[in-house]
Amino acid sequence: MSSEPIERRVSYLGDRLKGSRCQICGKEYFELRDYCGNCGRKSFGKMQDVDLFYDKGRLEICTLVNEPTNKFTKLGNYFYGIISFHNGRIRVPGRLTDRMVKCDEVIDFSALEGREVVPRFRRRYSVNKSDVIPTISLAFTFADEYYPHQEYTIADSSKEYDAPGIVGYGVYTSRFRIKEGNLERSVPFLDEDAITAAVEAGKLALIHSGVDSSLVGKIYVGSESNPYAVKPIASKVAQVLKLGEEDEDVQGVDAIDTEFACKAASSMFKDAASLVNYPKSGIKYAMVIGADNSQAAPRGCPGGELDLFVGYGGSAFIFGKSDVIAEIEGWYSCTSDTPDFWRRDGEPFPMHGGRFTGDPAYFKHVRKAAKKLMERLNMQICDIDYFVTHQPNVQFPVKIAKELGFKEEQYLPSLKVNKFGNTYSGCSPVGLSAVLDIAKPEERILITSYGSGAGSDAYLLVTTNQILDKRQRQKLTIKHQTENPYVEYVDYTLYRQLKLGM
Amino acid sequence: MQNRPAIVAVGRTKFGEHYGKEPEKLIEEAWLKASNEADIERKDLEACYLSDYFLPITNKLGLEEGFLSELTELHVPMEVTRSFSAALLTACHAIQAGRYNVMLVGGLEKMTDRWDKIRDDLMLLEDPWSYYAGCTPEANHELMLRAYIRKYGITGENLEKLNVALAQVAVKSHSNATKNEYAQYQRKITVEHVLNARKEARKPLGLYDFAPISDGASALVLTSEELAKKLTDKPVYVLGCSSATDYLDFPAREDLTHFIASKIAMKNALKMTGMSPLNIQLIELYDQSTVMEMVSLEDLGYCNEGNAWKTIYGSCQDYKGYYDLAGKKLFVNLNGGLKADGNPLGATGGAQIFEIFKQLRGEAGERQVTSDEELKYGCTLELEGFGTKSYVSILERE
Repeated sequence: MSSEPIERRVSYLGDRLKGSRCQICGKEYFELRDYCGNCGRKSFGKMQDVDLFYDKGRLEICTLVNEPTNKFTKLGNYFYGIISFHNGRIRVPGRLTDRMVKCDEVIDFSALEGREVVPRFRRRYSVNKSDVIPTISLAFTFADEYYPHQEYTIADSSKEYDAPGIVGYGVYTSRFRIKEGNLERSVPFLDEDAITAAVEAGKLALIHSGVDSSLVGKIYVGSESNPYAVKPIASKVAQVLKLGEEDEDVQGVDAIDTEFACKAASSMFKDAASLVNYPKSGIKYAMVIGADNSQAAPRGCPGGELDLFVGYGGSAFIFGKSDVIAEIEGWYSCTSDTPDFWRRDGEPFPMHGGRFTGDPAYFKHVRKAAKKLMERLNMQICDIDYFVTHQPNVQFPVKIAKELGFKEEQYLPSLKVNKFGNTYSGCSPVGLSAVLDIAKPEERILITSYGSGAGSDAYLLVTTNQILDKRQRQKLTIKHQTENPYVEYVDYTLYRQLKLGM
Repeated sequence: MQNRPAIVAVGRTKFGEHYGKEPEKLIEEAWLKASNEADIERKDLEACYLSDYFLPITNKLGLEEGFLSELTELHVPMEVTRSFSAALLTACHAIQAGRYNVMLVGGLEKMTDRWDKIRDDLMLLEDPWSYYAGCTPEANHELMLRAYIRKYGITGENLEKLNVALAQVAVKSHSNATKNEYAQYQRKITVEHVLNARKEARKPLGLYDFAPISDGASALVLTSEELAKKLTDKPVYVLGCSSATDYLDFPAREDLTHFIASKIAMKNALKMTGMSPLNIQLIELYDQSTVMEMVSLEDLGYCNEGNAWKTIYGSCQDYKGYYDLAGKKLFVNLNGGLKADGNPLGATGGAQIFEIFKQLRGEAGERQVTSDEELKYGCTLELEGFGTKSYVSILERE
């Protein structure tokens, strides 16, 4: 796409799958229309927006594409077809994503046709490195496979809390994994990146919270793998998820990207909570997303040690004071100028300080944040039900948990690095989500993030009764994603190729 | 049609890969052939309608009319359309209106220069949303076939027959093209070639089901009825011509198994002539794929919907040079069709008219067909995009 205005218009419709319905005759259209072809002039002003973003469709017919057009060549062979929504009232073209058609695979189109599919927000196709990255939701996965279809129902809030807290959350990881020894790590498909993970995670958090997206007044996205040096991920999330009140094609939301290695998102929890607590902010909800396609140089190259641990995914949290599932009791943050891990501008992969990343970096900051917060809130280890910390590998979180005096039952439920790898900005939030997935009401959770450079944020959360009420809304739980029969394992070569993407 | 527009001469180039020839050389060649035949001079021309789908994009040529003016050293009205039939239709209207008496209608395309990008260009122009979703120019044809199979519940032995019938379409076209000196592929293929290519591609259609990309040009001289009689003993009249349109977006169309634009265009063209499809025994269909030929037989009313494959299968078991419509002969794509004659988009419709013109005048040489009935009428079907526009022209010999 050579023209940004064209790209903007295509994305505006295609990212969200916007359509129209004539309120007179019921005819539906993909794309926005001012009037209906059947009803003509009298339908002006009577066209209703149709949104297919949270819908499920049906793959009507499909074929194999084995000689794609130039921009799709990196995807290799894929299935392409026609997807119908609303019993065939709207039909759109679509590519089946997350599926690599192998050279020797026996193909039976009729086994795919007729099945239910859900839209995925993905990169559209390859472009030059200096171009705007085109996205689209005309990519689909089967509803009975890794990603189930989830309805988004806006729920009226039933209870107000004194203290702000988490209202809803969601974790998005890909269907692909690399398994080496006991360590499994999530690997993006070719059309995924930090932007797509952020949008998908935010979508899940909205579904779980039941919050009206127009009431979200601020969105923070923390990432260290934004494919753009300049251009926020948060603006894409705001537009696609329709955060804040929509006026024409502008969203009434403040959107900002943050960066502080792996604590870029967790650092903003307190900002989001404070914002919704400030009476004059006018902001009822704020969303924080951590998303990364965690970078690492290939093994054997400088910095390549990271390649053993990096994962892919995003997690999103909505903060507010209504229908809270976990109240924030307090926080403590600490920072020092410690260059244990960095990536220079223009460099594709980060470097790290080797042994220097342990004691003087990770352990020092996590220890301080955890201890100071407990001191401040006058808490003992035994008062805490779950301990969550940043997980750059398996050893570090276990070592610090033990050192602080936590028992296995307190820290193991959040330990997910062996399932997803280090998802950088999304990493400690993934651990928190794993705990929120299983926690009972009135349980205390201590979370400490860590960001190289360096700093740590500690939060103490206490769950409410409403954590149980909202649980059934989220099908894509951590358990669902870790114990999923549709997870596909890839070898090292393919893993590197997938991580590089389109 | 009152004041029937008449074709007095036709010309064309060979279709194929003309690496060494510039686009203007191709149209020059086609034009020279047509004008020599009719003994027409450039200065006699009152207007020129040219068709071309790609040059403005590939050569960034914004005003092709100027390019044509340079080439012909003429300053008469000129217009460029995207298909030959569109140019012909517009020219016919002008003749009928009494505005002009002698016109040049031409078409050209140069596709092979851009072989590495042409599929992206074609797809983006044909159906942008499908392109964004990962479609290829071939995939829509395959989806139409999948939709057809599902709609008409074709399974088992019948499905095998349908697949063979589609292969026979390509085999027939290649066989016809062996007698066409202008055709891109003047060689025979077998049903096995077609089936094996599909098997290798692991999809409903393979290499031999699709028309190639081509370079080429075609031209004709269109005059008023009165003038035609002075210029030739055997003018061919445009008895009816009509066009219709449909959505760009294939998935959004109501019927995924047929081209509604073709149905409407044929209905309206027939209405102009007062004929029924079976009055016409010679047709040149727009077979970008074998599926398109099959579906078009139904769209134009020669076969019932869901049944064309049976007609093809039945006729091709022992192919005698025509499709057998319950005892009635239907000659289809005698020049080899787009499949074997070639498909230089802007020029393709001209080659279809060329064939009908030659056949009706009994000048088709080795390809000439005869029938028990007199061959008096012929028809061409040309599409733009994937059925977004459809043109039907019905021709009659004197």
